[in-house]
Amino acid sequence: MRPSGPVLFGAGLAVVAAYAVYAALGWPAKAALFPLVMGIPLLVLAVAQVLLELRAAPAPAEPAGAGSRALAVFAWMVGFVALVLFGGFAAAVPIFVFLYLRLDSREGWLLSGVLAAAAWGFFHLVFQRLLHFPFEAGLMADWF
Amino acid sequence: MFEALIQGLALVLQWNAFSLMLVGMALGFVVGLLPGIGGAATLALMLPFVFKMTPVEAFAFLLGMHSVAATTGDITSILFGVPGEGLSAATVVDGHPMAKNGEAARALGAALMSSLVGAVIGAAALAVSIPIVRPLVLTFGSPELFMITVMGIACITSLSGQGARAQLKGFAMGFLGLLLATIGQERQSGTLRFDFGLIYLWEGLDLIPVLVGIFAIPEIIDLAVRRTAIAGDAPAAKLGAGVWEGIRDTFRHFWLVVRCSIVGVLVGILPGAGGGVAQWMAYAHAVQSAKDAKDRSRFGAGDVRGVLGPGAANNSKEGGDLIPTIAFGVPGSGAMAILLGAFLIMGLHPGPDMLTKHLAVTYSMVWTLVIANVITVLVCLATLPWLSMVTRIRGGLILPFLLLLVFVGSYTANRQIADLVVTLGFGAVGFLMVRYGWPRAPLVLGFVLGKLAETYLFISMARYGYSWLGQPLVLFLMALTVFVIVFPYFQDRRTHAA
Repeated sequence: MRPSGPVLFGAGLAVVAAYAVYAALGWPAKAALFPLVMGIPLLVLAVAQVLLELRAAPAPAEPAGAGSRALAVFAWMVGFVALVLFGGFAAAVPIFVFLYLRLDSREGWLLSGVLAAAAWGFFHLVFQRLLHFPFEAGLMADWF
Repeated sequence: MFEALIQGLALVLQWNAFSLMLVGMALGFVVGLLPGIGGAATLALMLPFVFKMTPVEAFAFLLGMHSVAATTGDITSILFGVPGEGLSAATVVDGHPMAKNGEAARALGAALMSSLVGAVIGAAALAVSIPIVRPLVLTFGSPELFMITVMGIACITSLSGQGARAQLKGFAMGFLGLLLATIGQERQSGTLRFDFGLIYLWEGLDLIPVLVGIFAIPEIIDLAVRRTAIAGDAPAAKLGAGVWEGIRDTFRHFWLVVRCSIVGVLVGILPGAGGGVAQWMAYAHAVQSAKDAKDRSRFGAGDVRGVLGPGAANNSKEGGDLIPTIAFGVPGSGAMAILLGAFLIMGLHPGPDMLTKHLAVTYSMVWTLVIANVITVLVCLATLPWLSMVTRIRGGLILPFLLLLVFVGSYTANRQIADLVVTLGFGAVGFLMVRYGWPRAPLVLGFVLGKLAETYLFISMARYGYSWLGQPLVLFLMALTVFVIVFPYFQDRRTHAA
């Protein structure tokens, strides 16, 4: 039988707690006290939850396509972080807004362009002009 | 004293001070809407501008900005589920579900009006308590502060939901939050805990990326999956019509608002506790104030009392925070530590002088808190029907902007790209928690209080050994903690018996 999501989540929590307890056992008493006091009950509760989930009735199925849509949006977020890493915020903000509106929301060229420009304008005005907030330029700035 | 009070008002209403307060408020308004740049960071950014100002002008500018940021943080929390300030995360729990139910204007009206009541109570507490607060603050040493944090952690029972299974999940999340708070260098021995060889983790995880990830990203994913506007198919007429209902809610539950304001003031007075703690404790108190288990189950699904409590505490805490800062030069939070810098720049020394020679300046701060909040609430109330219409915009159109808000906000907290990765990671965890029915509030409460609890425990042990466990105030706080844990169970049993 394939383990359900709730069982896997509970098991993941148990693994985190077990690692925390294992790691804490190698530290001096002062440093280990709090992680042990928190980690041991977390381990017990997570294991109890896994056992309860194994005995529970299967959860109702979610609407078709919801999981893949959630993954797609998460992939967009990862893409934005990658854009920031390589191009910096100043470039990533308008590029991301434009691409998302065009490719995911299927908006027109004009609206996507105008909103991307507006996003860049807001970012530039508030963070760079008004607050003088320093943003990293991105890895590409080091390459060129 | 009355003469100084009037003199303080006259000082704030002077043209220069008043216009600088308006400038500060405009800045605070924008900053409050953006997650990450908290009131403290903005105070730090604006501190260099106060050199040429008089003390009254400087405090009108800085406090006007700081108090408005706390108020407007609730707007993004309610409309988008993105905590506008680290302090306004508790408002998300019931405020955003209200927006999804088409009650955004009602939630915003309630948040703003309760914020105003909270700000006035906080300012009043500041005005009357400065002369008498000294014994209270001096009574609270590390053991008492440790017990206060334990009492805050005990609120997990109220935040976990109904039934044994929900309690099990709630406590597990609370412990996970406390465990996450131990990441980084341990302050006593210098041991690096759970750092995985990354220098980034030496300082521990920052609150903002964790909060924004856990609360905002699941809401954004939900919006994308639903492919509707935030308010779904709620009729447009209903959206803007609830402002007055929200205001009425504040007065319908007036004693709850007052009690939560007092919680905010008291937490504000205590050094190191911070606004996030005040909000969550006020939220937990609002949940505990429910009549029975059935009434309590409405929280988390869009109960206006879950907006009123944190809203009130968020702003009353400002007054409380200022009390030890002004009276002893002991800042209650990071923002107040920066404000203390402004005192020194102005050539003022917190302490007895602020209660005698500079009493009018002290009262000008009280008036700034009140006037800035009144103006903000009036401006917001006038624009709320339009603001709430944001929840009608197509999800596909608003979603990239929400993502920008989330990630730019997370970055601005510490200016580290790694914070974006932390936001993503906690976003994924938050999404799974929502999907599998694990409560998020206990995790945040544990995370916020974990570091404080550990620090105070070690100071108590180092200073008093085990003898602190027998101190009268500690014993009283222990009893109160047991009451906080047991009360929801007692209430459930009473309901079942009836």
